[in-house]
Amino acid sequence: MDLMKELLKKAEQVEVVNLHNETTTVSFEANQLKSSSVAQTRGTAVRVVRDGRLGFAASSDEKAITKLAANALESAAYGDRLILKFPTAKPAQQVRTFDQKIVDLSISRLVEIGREILDLILPVEPDARVNLNLTRSVQSASLRNQTGLDIAFERSPLSFELEIDRIVGDDVLIIFDVVGTTQWNDEYLGFARRLVEKLKMARKLTRMRSGNMPVIFSPFGVLALALPLNQGLNGKSVYKGTSPMRGKIGEKLFDEKITLIDDGTLHGRPGSAPYDDEGVPHQRNVLVEKGVLKGFIYDLRTAAQFGVESTGNAERGLFNQPEPSSTNFMIQPGKTPLKDMIASISEGILVEGLLGLGQGNIISGAFSNPLALAFKIEKGEIVGRVKDMSIAGNVYDLLKNVEAVSQEAEWVYGSIHAPYVLLPQMNVVSKE
Amino acid sequence: MRDKIQAALKLSKADYTEIRIEEKESARISYQGRDLENANAVIDKGGVVRCLSRKHGWGVATFNNLDDLKNKVEQAYQCALVAQSEEPIELGPIEVIEEHIQAVMKHDFRDVSMAAKKALVENYNNILLGSSDKIIDTNSVYVDSFSHVYFANSEGTYIEEERPSVVVATTAIARDGDNVQQSHESCGGPFGFEFAQDKEEMARTAARRAVELLGAKSVVGGQYPVVADQMLAGVFIHEAFGHLSESDFVYENPKAKEMMVLGRRFGRDILNVYDDGTIPGQRGTHRFDDEGTPTRHNDLIKDGILVGRLHSRETAAKMDEKVTGNARAVSYRFPPIVRMTNTAIENGTTSFQDMIKDIKLGIYACDAYGGETMLENFSFSSGYAYMIRDGRIAEMVKDVILSGNLFTTLQNIDAIGNDFKWLAVGGGCGKGKQAPLPVGMGAPHIRIQNVVIGGQ
Ligand SMILES: [Zn+2]
Repeated sequence: MDLMKELLKKAEQVEVVNLHNETTTVSFEANQLKSSSVAQTRGTAVRVVRDGRLGFAASSDEKAITKLAANALESAAYGDRLILKFPTAKPAQQVRTFDQKIVDLSISRLVEIGREILDLILPVEPDARVNLNLTRSVQSASLRNQTGLDIAFERSPLSFELEIDRIVGDDVLIIFDVVGTTQWNDEYLGFARRLVEKLKMARKLTRMRSGNMPVIFSPFGVLALALPLNQGLNGKSVYKGTSPMRGKIGEKLFDEKITLIDDGTLHGRPGSAPYDDEGVPHQRNVLVEKGVLKGFIYDLRTAAQFGVESTGNAERGLFNQPEPSSTNFMIQPGKTPLKDMIASISEGILVEGLLGLGQGNIISGAFSNPLALAFKIEKGEIVGRVKDMSIAGNVYDLLKNVEAVSQEAEWVYGSIHAPYVLLPQMNVVSKE
Repeated sequence: MRDKIQAALKLSKADYTEIRIEEKESARISYQGRDLENANAVIDKGGVVRCLSRKHGWGVATFNNLDDLKNKVEQAYQCALVAQSEEPIELGPIEVIEEHIQAVMKHDFRDVSMAAKKALVENYNNILLGSSDKIIDTNSVYVDSFSHVYFANSEGTYIEEERPSVVVATTAIARDGDNVQQSHESCGGPFGFEFAQDKEEMARTAARRAVELLGAKSVVGGQYPVVADQMLAGVFIHEAFGHLSESDFVYENPKAKEMMVLGRRFGRDILNVYDDGTIPGQRGTHRFDDEGTPTRHNDLIKDGILVGRLHSRETAAKMDEKVTGNARAVSYRFPPIVRMTNTAIENGTTSFQDMIKDIKLGIYACDAYGGETMLENFSFSSGYAYMIRDGRIAEMVKDVILSGNLFTTLQNIDAIGNDFKWLAVGGGCGKGKQAPLPVGMGAPHIRIQNVVIGGQ
């Protein structure tokens, strides 16, 4: 049965999405290759608009098509009356999301890469326990709607997830990292080398007092600042009225060193694709430019609520309706070399990681977190790791005055690109 | 289905093979503010084969296409041969079981129309919206799901189980100028539609509290004696302690073994903690875990001393301890891993009045609004809180974030209430990528001395 044809007999608008995924994973647990797995999953999701009401249904059982269609129509009987128009086909940018070299990685090659990563870490840190997942997928997605829009694309994500525990006496250090790409890169060990440097640096412990001091957020630490902004820039929280940035387009909210961009058209990034999950072309959206709020991200639904165009930021899982979501979220690098930034500080702290990120009332911009990994800076040099420290503040206050943003920037957790950010004054609390 | 599964198992070349197949239908209705966001039903059907090659390791194949089980068994076996475990992997012994477990629902939600489910949520949502003009947004959700799970292994066990689940959750978001506050209430359990009805009071509570929080001042950071309500105490013991008693954290890690050595004192004599997958009607309750091991009562802390931990068959064998029935999988998309079922602090003897009466300046922290732990360090946000002044509950405060070291904090629990309750909340536990797994939590009020409270 042709779902599109069948549903169009009863509905004005129809959208049919098919997802197919093949994934291979090898898992090292405590430095040992304990398991490997393969997954072949697929599913179909349908949205219909019938008598002006939106309905949704999904199924991973391809034999249940009749029931899927019935569920979608029943859903529409109770659905939202929002006037939502599925898009017509628009030309999209060429975005590289598929690489045969990744598809061709055999399971034994993944095992080899895992060993290469362990061989970088373990000789330097024999006490480390490394959990490592190497995952390679081939995803195909197709999307059709009643306007004739009919798109399909393939992606080949490769990701390495790494967790290192190092327990020496009472000193516990845990570091996570995830790197992801859809384009093969011969420099795939670079991230592991950086981690080893971090581990070496974290060996020497030192102490510091509480007080107001300059704070450098590393690309990992910057997440504390980026997460509330990312939520506040989401059209859904703007519509809900919870975003502190609501109604402030055109206003200067931050220091002019702050520019925030969402860009789903970058080659090879995990958040990239030619189209979003509703068939709207991905684009580069400048959200904050030199401290001035320029716009928010929308999917079709939130765009319709505001009477604007979708920014191509719809994202969905098989069993959920699309929602606005950032693709690749970037804090633009600045002009200051990192070494100059560190050299400028007589006493301060470098924040590499926080515990409990994303908890609490984060959309307000307020945060208060223990530091999972942080270094003391003294007379322009990093002198050692500090423990039992915490920081608190509000992003919307803190980012009004930024001392410097580094030239250097890194991808963290796959889809956030961030530089080092130096704040001139922040309250740092030591538990000692 | 049984014949298909057993035919595929027979062909396996692995030392141990199991097949789990799940057929699930679920309905979801949600309101966001005045808008109906979802009113839909989804179908999820798939399976997983897990093979063990003792000398190598585990191989797993996950799939939606159930037509070719034999081929999936072969794939999983090939995956197992790729692994290179240093020592042979053994499994703790369990009895061979054959069971059909049927769901008991007073009012089967599969017989309830989408219209009736929608009317139910709409009513709760209207209560939220109508409570105050300061409520600017809401989220009201009803989710039911009915799973039919088939489990069989190469040792001869065969279990078929029906798993119903129903959850209602209400969130109210109140705003006054730039001040935005929210409050959340939820409930859930392995029940029928009847459980989702008559929850008006829950919605009223969420709405009232969100508005109250608008008037609350931020707490002043510092060290305080804290009285935690049942909800926060339950979430604390689950998150900060429970996850460390999951043996997959310990069994390959000599340092963690030292930290979690049985016989170590974890708290005062008054502290007793257990995990129990057999408590009727709780969210983490099942007759058998996802390896076919019967669930049971497992003492974790007895009179302040660590006495037990939670196991899968693999971790039990590796540590030469008994299986506990704690291997669970969130769905057919994953193999089972060590998880809690229903975790609780046992009832004590102190009344709430006695607990607060000697506190000159302290905090009564209620509900948990998220948290994270990293080994023995934790950080939790309470949903709402009050100052305790001169032995009395005083003004409400917000932004109460508790952080500290698990061991010191457990030692600092110096009073355990006599008002134990199970918390049938709607959320779930996350571990690795497996979330949300339904779990139960329970506790009485507890008092903790010297807690570090974050604040600006
Ligand atoms: Zn948990």
